[in-house]
Amino acid sequence: MIPSLPDGEVAAVIETAALSKVYPGDVTALDGLTVSFAPGVTGLIGANGAGKSTLIKILLGLLDPTQGMAKVLGLDCVKDGMRIRQLVGYMPEHDCLPPDVSATEFVTHMGRMSGLPATAARERAAEALRHVGLYEERYRQIGGYSTGMKQRVKLAQALVGDPRLVLLDEPTNGLDPAGRNAMLELIAKIGEEFGISIVVASHLLGEIERICDHLVAIEAGRLLRADTIDTFTKASQTLVVEVEEGLARLERELTRRGLRPRAYQRSLLVPIGGDDTYDAVRDSVADLGLPLSRLERRRHQVEELFRDDTADVTPLEAADAG
Amino acid sequence: MPADTPTATTGAAAGVIHDLGYRRYDGPRLGRAQMVRALAWHSFRSAFGFGRGAKAKIVPVIAFVALLLPAVVNAASLANGNGQLVFYDTYQPVLRDLVMTIFVAVQAPELVSRDLRSRVLPLYFARPIKTSDYPLAKYLAFTAACAVMIEVPLLVLYLGTIVNAHGGAAVWAQTREFIPGLLVGLMWAVVLAAISLFLASLTGRRAFATGTVAIFFLATYTLAEILLQVENHGIRQQQAQSIQNAGHFVAPAVPMAEKVSGLFSPFTLFDGVRMWLSGHGTGQSDNVLYPGSFGAVYALVLVVLLAASLTGLFARYRKASLS
Repeated sequence: MIPSLPDGEVAAVIETAALSKVYPGDVTALDGLTVSFAPGVTGLIGANGAGKSTLIKILLGLLDPTQGMAKVLGLDCVKDGMRIRQLVGYMPEHDCLPPDVSATEFVTHMGRMSGLPATAARERAAEALRHVGLYEERYRQIGGYSTGMKQRVKLAQALVGDPRLVLLDEPTNGLDPAGRNAMLELIAKIGEEFGISIVVASHLLGEIERICDHLVAIEAGRLLRADTIDTFTKASQTLVVEVEEGLARLERELTRRGLRPRAYQRSLLVPIGGDDTYDAVRDSVADLGLPLSRLERRRHQVEELFRDDTADVTPLEAADAG
Repeated sequence: MPADTPTATTGAAAGVIHDLGYRRYDGPRLGRAQMVRALAWHSFRSAFGFGRGAKAKIVPVIAFVALLLPAVVNAASLANGNGQLVFYDTYQPVLRDLVMTIFVAVQAPELVSRDLRSRVLPLYFARPIKTSDYPLAKYLAFTAACAVMIEVPLLVLYLGTIVNAHGGAAVWAQTREFIPGLLVGLMWAVVLAAISLFLASLTGRRAFATGTVAIFFLATYTLAEILLQVENHGIRQQQAQSIQNAGHFVAPAVPMAEKVSGLFSPFTLFDGVRMWLSGHGTGQSDNVLYPGSFGAVYALVLVVLLAASLTGLFARYRKASLS
């Protein structure tokens, strides 16, 4: 059912060719999009209105494209929508939970609607809720849940049917920074440990690049760029050095050793040339006897690699982006 | 256990719920028809408040008990040697009109408005069913729920009557009356479910949905009743006039306006069609007078009403929206 390469790897979980969608009134949502998503965790980046939702609808076989071809797990989105929806889990961006049932009941019902027999639906619902980190709370009515818990229930209902691919639409929406981190870790875990391919649609680049293997950026219905995360961030690695005092002295010392440190707020950003960069920083700090409080390797955030995307970044993100 | 896939650790004791890791599901999957059935069953239960809190059960339970009362009273009457009070084809018309109006007005929104309100529909549409399967399952479920409300009291009426009947012939006579009663009940269920689900599906706001359904049934019923009474008054005047003029009683034909008045409410339509099909009126508890061959028009209007409601209901869900 899923076309496989000789080594058992699926060639592409999603493939589109010259995919266009024009809504009545001449509104172009997708404009000749040709892209392929490899297995693993892929970030689908685009501002609101870039065509993410239209793409998801087409991929789920719920909307026919005006032109072009789209395939999910090797299945044609126009002809095999039903089969695709059996293999794909979907987590919408917006609220989609009834308040007056428990998470267990709700996810069990959604498991039935994914085609599971009653017993299997109950078992898998319990497992899915455990995987997303809901334990005793799952017997309480959803209406009383926090946003973070609701997001977890939404994720659990996408997982309950044992999908090969899950489409997550803005999964960190409405979460505080701690909640975002927890959700992102969860998504990374699902991608790595569960062996499920994931597409994370988001307008927050800096956030999801941490967990993605690949990035696909779309703008105005067209492909902006698609590549592995490593290619995106290649040769753009930075070391963040923070000392309690003597920042200026450290900067001079590092410059003397041939590095190009740049002061940023209360830390220094040092471009990494190779392993000797770490040694140079370590030695400089030791020689000067400075109290080192932070030493962290950081990639250039992906925003910097896109044009005009910083407009979508929240102040928090921008500050974090360094 | 179908969920026990080969990837589950062998030797792990059943009942150990600590992290087993992710398990694939290799068991059987339901076909589309089975999933529609599962959704219909889920919706059928929620029509009576099962799977919801205690509050959700109040209206269905009270409505059901209210509809059951005549059957119980009838059984008690027969057991005490009195005559039959309640009949299969009409039951207690005013009670049934009123209680079923309340039932569909409160419970139809439970099936459709609730899902609109919580925006859960995209989750259904992202699953391996067709978008039309959703209204189909809801309609089947609610028709069955309405049928239970109407037919179970009839069944109790039947059982309560035959335990007091003597001899096979009496039981057979009861059975022959019982079956048309069941068919009339089915007609009610099929039409009431379609109208109320369509009206409720227009809004996600529960109170508005209940109001819309209730007002539709009450207003049309009131309208039909007023028109019928105006006509009845007219007939009486006409009688008096004819006696004055001719000096003797002239039997009035049921005028066309009287028959037309019955077209304005589902409940009068039910009565008209019932009498048309059975070929007689009961003379005591009919909403409308015996329509004769005009009954075909009642049936036609009822079918058109049913078709329009179902078309509206399915059109409501034709576009699979994900937001």
